Amino acid sequence: MTCIKLIGTYLPPWQEGGRRLPGGDEDAVTMAVEAGRVLLERAPGGGIERVVLVTRDLPLLEGGNGATLLAGLGLPSDLEVVERLGGAPAMLDAVLSARPRTLVLGADLDPAGAGAVLVSADGTRLRPVSRIARSLPVTARSRDGVMHDYDDPRLLRERGLKASLRQAGPEDKPFAVAGIPHGQMRGMCAGDPPRLPTLGASATVFALAAMAEREEAGVLLASEQGTLTAVAIESAPAGTVHRLEPAGRPLPAARHTPGPEIPISLAAYDRAFEPKVRWEAARCGGCGALAYPPRRRCRECGSEGAWSPFPLPRRAEVYTAVTVRVPVPGLATPYSLAMVQLDGLDVRVLVRTTAAEAGTVAIGDTGRMTLRRVAVRSGVPDYGYAFWPDEPGEPDEEEVR
Amino acid sequence: MRRVAIAGAGMTSFAEHFGLGIKDLLPMAVGECERSVDKGLDRADIQAAWFGELTTTDGFPAGVLADSCGLVDVPVTRVENACATGNDALRNAVFGVASGYVDVALVVGGDKVRESSARSTFWEWAAMTRDMAWDYPLGLVAPANFALHVARYLHESPATREHMAMVAVKNHRHALNNPKAQLRFEITVEQVLNAPMVVDPFGLYDCTPQSDGAAALLVVAEDVVDRYTDRPVWVRGVGLGLDRVMHQHKVDMTTFPATRRAAGRAFAMAGLTPADVDVAEVHDCFTGVELISYEDLGFADRFGAHKLVEAEATSVGGSLPVNPSGGLKAKGHPPGATGVAQCVELFEQLRGEAANQVDGARVGLAHNIGGPTAVSAVTILGAERG
Repeated sequence: MTCIKLIGTYLPPWQEGGRRLPGGDEDAVTMAVEAGRVLLERAPGGGIERVVLVTRDLPLLEGGNGATLLAGLGLPSDLEVVERLGGAPAMLDAVLSARPRTLVLGADLDPAGAGAVLVSADGTRLRPVSRIARSLPVTARSRDGVMHDYDDPRLLRERGLKASLRQAGPEDKPFAVAGIPHGQMRGMCAGDPPRLPTLGASATVFALAAMAEREEAGVLLASEQGTLTAVAIESAPAGTVHRLEPAGRPLPAARHTPGPEIPISLAAYDRAFEPKVRWEAARCGGCGALAYPPRRRCRECGSEGAWSPFPLPRRAEVYTAVTVRVPVPGLATPYSLAMVQLDGLDVRVLVRTTAAEAGTVAIGDTGRMTLRRVAVRSGVPDYGYAFWPDEPGEPDEEEVR
Repeated sequence: MRRVAIAGAGMTSFAEHFGLGIKDLLPMAVGECERSVDKGLDRADIQAAWFGELTTTDGFPAGVLADSCGLVDVPVTRVENACATGNDALRNAVFGVASGYVDVALVVGGDKVRESSARSTFWEWAAMTRDMAWDYPLGLVAPANFALHVARYLHESPATREHMAMVAVKNHRHALNNPKAQLRFEITVEQVLNAPMVVDPFGLYDCTPQSDGAAALLVVAEDVVDRYTDRPVWVRGVGLGLDRVMHQHKVDMTTFPATRRAAGRAFAMAGLTPADVDVAEVHDCFTGVELISYEDLGFADRFGAHKLVEAEATSVGGSLPVNPSGGLKAKGHPPGATGVAQCVELFEQLRGEAANQVDGARVGLAHNIGGPTAVSAVTILGAERG
């Protein structure tokens, strides 16, 4: 028996033909962190003891994503992180097998979205019903990263989901099937199935969220090619689900200029990682002044070395901003840079803007700071914070519905 | 400390010198400097050299200068201080002469910006002035560094993009007569405003071109100046100022404290005030930077710079002509050479020999800001010994 306490979801604000797309500064880790933070902001006391990330789009196969996940989520760096390769069934399996105090995250790039589930000792109960693993690699991707598509949707439907259902399907019609297009779901489901914005690991979370919001009990299926997992879920109380799902807008056109990659210094990366990804300044033990980035000698009192970490606020106002429109070798243009003043502190940071078209951010705008993949240098994703301006008309509220 | 004079000055044209390497440009500039010495110069008289080069091309700079210019018998020091390199090279040479260490010193500045592919130049040069972990990955390209200041300046001051355009129009007009200038064509305010945007609020014509070039000055002690010329130009004051390196630590981005510090030191050494300056070469890598610098140098009240361009006070023929050479904007900007070339222009202005002569110029000021905006050098030259 597994209990779900809270569910968080995230969709990037970009879309094309109804499908959400990740921004150029997003990947599975940043999206998982967005979904995770939506949930953690409502998790009293936190108490997370381990983190599981389920995705088929791990940014790094070698080099590790766990440290960035923990730092971005604001969790201690001594937690176990499981990076689990998989789609919708793997996400459901990960929730089912999670011990209490586990944060299970799922993220997908195409269509893009992420979800987070807090597994707890109490809450909405899930019970495994059936599971089957069959091999039908209609789409296949090996370690070279190249996607091979057999391109036979009828085979996939007949010998994938339907064959698996015949072997291991529950008797009751499900509430929803995560992992398949909405068109296929209709007719298979008990009522009017929810529209799920993604097809991979996060689709399971979007299905759980829809079920919880409708306060329905029933069976949920998660399917990926020949693999199927079925669970029975009781109805969830109100307040279980929290969403960060801004309205979708067309992804602005970007110009990609070929050129050399910006080189990276891993020594500098290493020194900056914790303050940069945890969003922490250093506080001077001598005078209390904040330093961001952290430094050895205090700019205010000159004392050296007696620093303690200081979590930075995540709201900010633009002091100055510019937009780079000239083609820049190795980067996508245009993009905006902003110097933002953090709320209530004498701290400014220079950041990229995110989730807004380049050139739309102006002096005086308010918004929130959020983790993004600022650059990829020498194959290494370089994470840091970006400024997400508020939508006009809601200057102080996050876009949480 | 002894008084120090400039007895000769020369420079190459500023251009995309694809056909000339740094080992060509340096002897060309030194040769022209040598030929400008009224009573002649025996190169063996040179006792030391200071060489400003921001980047490193074809080998380590001091050795390249010594080898290419026949100066292997004298000590050569490379000076690198971002875009303040040229004027800082002069400053160091002045101390070497004023102290009595040498009587005759050579100051050279040079850079080859167009030596690598346009694509790779971008990041090679950016790497010299960015924090590798905190700034560099953001795509903080050179114009963006200054644009962050100017965007805020436009927000707080009455100045507009039109005022910036007037600076570009003025400096292009000045460059028309300067045979050494890279961009010798006139432009209009409308052309500046309608040009493709580089980094808001800078359009193409708000930006300096990328340039190669070199410049040289012969710096001599008061005791020996008569051997070289009867019309020396005197180094009245030199100043260097710094500021916080990262933009996030600059409290007020509408001003460059580095310039205020450098100018304060130079004016104090000269015993002069901004009102005494007749002609100035001001760092105009981007048009808005010239406006901000009017205020930091004391030529205009705070947020009053736009009035100077509206009144054409800083055009040749106005009360304080700025960048009669065309400035970085139209003459060009090979960073190590830039400050030295500013002093080449002032040398000619104060001797009444400039292409765009400012009538009766007796005191001239040269100014650089860079790094991106964390170091400034100011040099004050005078026709009088002081």
